Amino acid sequence: MAQHDKAVAVACTQWEEDLVLHYYGELRGSERTAVEDHVRGCEPCRFYLKELESILPLTVKPDEPPQAFWDNYSREMRRKLTEVKERKSWWQSLALFFQPWAIPVSATAAVAVLALTLTLGKGFWGSKEIPQDDQAFMEILPAAENLEFFKTMEVLDAMDFLEDMGSPVKGSA
Amino acid sequence: MQPGDEDLVALARNGDHKAFEELVERHKQKAYRIAFDFARDREEAKDLSQEAFLRAYSHLGNFDGRSGFYTWFYRILVNVCLDYKRRKKRTFAEEFNEAVENQVEPSQVSQKPPSPDQQVLARQLSRKIGAALEALPPKQRTAFILKNNQGLSIKEIAEMMQTAEGTVKVHLHRAVTALRQSLAEFA
Repeated sequence: MAQHDKAVAVACTQWEEDLVLHYYGELRGSERTAVEDHVRGCEPCRFYLKELESILPLTVKPDEPPQAFWDNYSREMRRKLTEVKERKSWWQSLALFFQPWAIPVSATAAVAVLALTLTLGKGFWGSKEIPQDDQAFMEILPAAENLEFFKTMEVLDAMDFLEDMGSPVKGSA
Repeated sequence: MQPGDEDLVALARNGDHKAFEELVERHKQKAYRIAFDFARDREEAKDLSQEAFLRAYSHLGNFDGRSGFYTWFYRILVNVCLDYKRRKKRTFAEEFNEAVENQVEPSQVSQKPPSPDQQVLARQLSRKIGAALEALPPKQRTAFILKNNQGLSIKEIAEMMQTAEGTVKVHLHRAVTALRQSLAEFA
């Protein structure tokens, strides 16, 4: 049996947890009978139970707000829920845009629009801005710019040839 | 026949705003009382319980129905209350004393006012209880409040705290032992 203390009741160590559960009505059947049998024969455990009965209710601070409080509670709650719902629907519509299926669909649509623009737009701009004659001119223009260069090269070749003709044959002089 | 909580959850998930308001009406008083046990302040208890309802509403999609709405919601509520206690800079004892001192109970209105000696004793007791509860680790405090103040069964507390019943019993026993030591002089 445990020692009895004036300040704090000391119950039998092995029974203490069961005494707490017994106080809260958590023991049933044989467990409950065993605790009750023990308490009947053990003064420190009996004193411990009495102490729980006097101390633990002190820790409960009941609070009974008036009806006006509850009315206000419900009103505030409805307002807050509406705010959350509105915020939620805004996010949901944004989130819908980032759904997994939306990405390939958007990408396919973008590619289709681009392809159509290039296909149709090329013919449109080509026929309007550059006439076919001009296109042919644009193609031969770079070649024409190089023509002078080729002509210069031809003159140089001709001069070399004349030099070779006019000079005595090497080795025969 | 009144729809069950789970029916209302299903309706709320399908966008029925009123269904969730009905859930709030059903559980607001109990939710408030749990929050009050943690916060010991009327306005803060109101804010905390409302915050728990809003979180539940925003996360209705996460409710899988494995536990009842009651258990799922009170788990959210306890977490909101514990988070609040962690965030709070002021000590629990101070809040509790202020709440007790400022609170006018209906019984006090009709009865004659307590004598100065009684007031001193009540204040001392409040301070002691506040400090003792504040000193408990969060899990012990949760188990103790849910059992001692709310009268939930060990099984319900275990479901709410997502732990074994044996663990709840240990938390409860330790909490009671700590409180007995702190409050022995008032026995």
